[in-house]
Amino acid sequence: MGSDADKKNWVGKPLPRKEENRLLRGRGKFADDIKMREMLYLRFVRSPYAHARIVSVATSSAEAVPGVACTITGTEILPHVQPFIEIAPEPGGKIKDYPLAISKVRYQGEPVAAVVAESPSIADDAAELVQVEYEALDPVVDAEDALKDASILHEEAGTNRVWSGVFEYGDVDKAFQEAASVVHIDRLHFHRFSSTPLENNVVIAQWNPKDERIYYWCNNSFPSFAIQFLSAHLNVHIDRIRVETSDIGGSFGIKITSYPQMAVCALASKKAGGRPIKWVETRSEHNTSSAHGNERTFRDTRVALDKDGVITAIVSRHIDDCGAYPRYEPLGCVIWSQVFPGVYRFKNARIDFTQAVTNKCPVGPNRGYSRMQHLWFLERVVDICAHELSIPADEMRLRNYIRPEEFPYTTPNGCVYDSGNYPKMLQVAKGLIGWDEWKKRQAAARKEGRLIGMGIGTTLDSGTNNFGQSQIVNPGAPFSGNSQGANCKLDIYGEVVVAVGSCPQGQGHETTAAQVVADVLNIHPDLITVRTGFDTERNVHTGFSGTYASQFAVSGLSAVHGAAQKLKAEMKRLAAFVLETKEDDIEFGTGTQGPELRARSTGKSINYWGLANIVNVNSAVLPVEMHDITLNCRYIWRAPFKVPDKAKKYGNLTLTYASQLHIAVVEIDRDTFIPHILDYVAVDDCGTVINPPIVEGQVYGATAHGIGAALMESCVYDAVGNMLTSTFSDYTPITAVNMPKVKYGHIETPSPHSYSGAKGMGEGGAAPIHTISAALQDGLFAEGIIVDDSFNNADSLFRAMVRKEIGQAGKLVTVERRS
Amino acid sequence: MAIKFNGEFEVQRLPEEVYTFLTDPSKFAPLLPEFQGMSVQDATHFTVKVKVGVSYIKGIAEVKMELSQAENPRRAQYKGQGSVAGGGVSLIAGFDLVPANGGTKVAWQGEAQVFGRLTSVAGGLLQPLGKKNAQKLIDGLQAALKGTPGAMPSEAKTAEG
Repeated sequence: MGSDADKKNWVGKPLPRKEENRLLRGRGKFADDIKMREMLYLRFVRSPYAHARIVSVATSSAEAVPGVACTITGTEILPHVQPFIEIAPEPGGKIKDYPLAISKVRYQGEPVAAVVAESPSIADDAAELVQVEYEALDPVVDAEDALKDASILHEEAGTNRVWSGVFEYGDVDKAFQEAASVVHIDRLHFHRFSSTPLENNVVIAQWNPKDERIYYWCNNSFPSFAIQFLSAHLNVHIDRIRVETSDIGGSFGIKITSYPQMAVCALASKKAGGRPIKWVETRSEHNTSSAHGNERTFRDTRVALDKDGVITAIVSRHIDDCGAYPRYEPLGCVIWSQVFPGVYRFKNARIDFTQAVTNKCPVGPNRGYSRMQHLWFLERVVDICAHELSIPADEMRLRNYIRPEEFPYTTPNGCVYDSGNYPKMLQVAKGLIGWDEWKKRQAAARKEGRLIGMGIGTTLDSGTNNFGQSQIVNPGAPFSGNSQGANCKLDIYGEVVVAVGSCPQGQGHETTAAQVVADVLNIHPDLITVRTGFDTERNVHTGFSGTYASQFAVSGLSAVHGAAQKLKAEMKRLAAFVLETKEDDIEFGTGTQGPELRARSTGKSINYWGLANIVNVNSAVLPVEMHDITLNCRYIWRAPFKVPDKAKKYGNLTLTYASQLHIAVVEIDRDTFIPHILDYVAVDDCGTVINPPIVEGQVYGATAHGIGAALMESCVYDAVGNMLTSTFSDYTPITAVNMPKVKYGHIETPSPHSYSGAKGMGEGGAAPIHTISAALQDGLFAEGIIVDDSFNNADSLFRAMVRKEIGQAGKLVTVERRS
Repeated sequence: MAIKFNGEFEVQRLPEEVYTFLTDPSKFAPLLPEFQGMSVQDATHFTVKVKVGVSYIKGIAEVKMELSQAENPRRAQYKGQGSVAGGGVSLIAGFDLVPANGGTKVAWQGEAQVFGRLTSVAGGLLQPLGKKNAQKLIDGLQAALKGTPGAMPSEAKTAEG
């Protein structure tokens, strides 16, 4: 038999994904696959206006349609629900958020009513008959305009400001006094984009009158967060809400905020006598009204540098646009500070951060949430300073990077970067792309008048949040730390079954969890069944369970590892009793009858079925002192966090820091202004790699998402709040056709903060956005253009060029040289 | 999405005659392109139904109109708000009348704000379509006001003839 002596390490092996067979052959089970007896279908009636008062809602025509079960409106639900919890203190905390608009609509696409019918098509048709009379109000679609409070979205808050605070560390004034040069950047802007998962939001809800419980089958990606909001909103004890998820076709964070739709479906079910209600979001609904990423404007940035171009201080004012309702916000007002200095060494900084509501779709924690905006800002700052001071882009980074020997590195705001080696990543990336050769080609091309730029983006993917950071934005917030649960058991017939409180959306949890348990028990991963998908009834979730924020490799697998270790200990103890030997004589492996435990001294063995049999159905043979053995082991992993210092906004906010370094070579066509990627490299460091193909797949996915965001995808609104990119023909999400060939490389700097050395990854730090901005900057700097926006398609580049040529570009950057 | 339009024309009618025509919904409203019907609430309020659409996206817009400025014989202005094809529209259209060459110079200006689904799926087409329809309205208005000062303006016909 295989034994501990010839133990394999499954962690780190390129094991094919266990879920591949199911998903690639169309055998996945998604929420929309669920059909139930007496199921009804819900369709939302949505506001065409970005900002309007609701004069009346007439549903009688819709209700008269044969097959319509009922309609539901905001005023109807009002007496039965509480406004959703607001995470913000006042003034944002005064906002009253309901899943259906009550007296006002605040963004185009906001649900005003819902129609429930026997079929989706009847619901669609009947929804067209709901007559809503609006009185248009002045919309505000720009966050800086919103802060003037000329038109208030939420009268109860009295202002459009949700949250504001100053993050100041070090001695900023001294750094500026001593600076050799100071660079001023008037305005930078990170655009609004979102994610386009293959599967849109889906909710099936049943408010069962027999047991007065609410049952959900859905694809929400942070169900333990959702049920906390739903419980308070619906006035239902949290234990009376059951949520199950199955396979999920992507989320990228934006399915976290589907709880308002979940609430409406439950209320509709109650009104329909407990019949199950299904809502399947259309693509246009998803684009206009699910959730977008945060838009952010960076104003009045000043950068102090020493004589060598080393940044010593940054001062800036950041204005974040969270759309019409804060929902998951204002957590984004602090989450960016997980990566406060990015990958750089400056110690002095003052960031004045403000968040505002606008008449646009509410934001959600879109991949790279809040950190990518800040990282893009820092990368633009570094890049602009490099160009202005004539320091090569690679050299500028090397002068400013946190050095490998400084890890674990404590940032000015108290975060502890676990490990990393940015200079080495740069070296690897430059080698892969052929940096020196491209430099020569670029110089030759420029002589021909071609606009070719080379850009570097170095970024971070911080994973496993300390939810204590919520107390920095709201000292009264009841959250801190982080945890995840898992269960590992031997079923009655000896099958190893793992359950975990995550809800994977393509991240391969089934495979990586099996790899971890396989190493603990010294068996093949194929012998382990991993129950994926969230289920409140499995009792393995904590208040933080779900899949988000680059944490499964740390929180999820740590919980799985802990549960497997507990099971192993019980199995060993039981086997020692059965085999009449000492525990340290027991070894784990696989024999002729499958996985087993064996006494080295005697050669006697017992397989898993034998052990499970004793505990589950043959327990009379078990002595009393072993009655605590269940072979059904639950483990809760808790991250070693402390509550941050709220007044100083200081503390460790994240456990691991994966890093990415991308290099792009981009050419801007002088005639069409279309930017073409000529070469692209992505180098990743997520510590110990659990499964190389899964990591590589995540890197490619995040790279595609970022390239799409940089060049193709933007949520465009007109001046009155119409979303002009509500369909794929206008939003133009990136496809395989648009993807350049990506050269992939990686290094490993194991994390001292996780049991395996792994770091959470998958968000990619939006590296391509920073990288492409830098490459475009390199290509256009000689033309006098500063890349001041994260979105750069042919149209915006053309406009930038025209503005420059007609002298309307303004002076975006000024440099003050003191020595 | 804002669609702005303006222009001017001259007719051989006295300003008082033009003003009377413009402020009479039963004469003015049928000139709207794709006019389908109307109901009058009072002297200054009426509701018109017009057919609107871009390509296969078609529907009937029901627009509540208000004669918001009436300065005889210098100025008439309408404000309207309504729903259309899963969206909404609000518009404002003004006519300034000045005696000229024995008749009246009509300077017209307006703005329509379109909201909702139509703008996101057909936004690029709305500007030219809106301007085309505005021109149809003005053409119809000019045709209806043909004649000599003091004679009755012709019966209103829709812009489609």
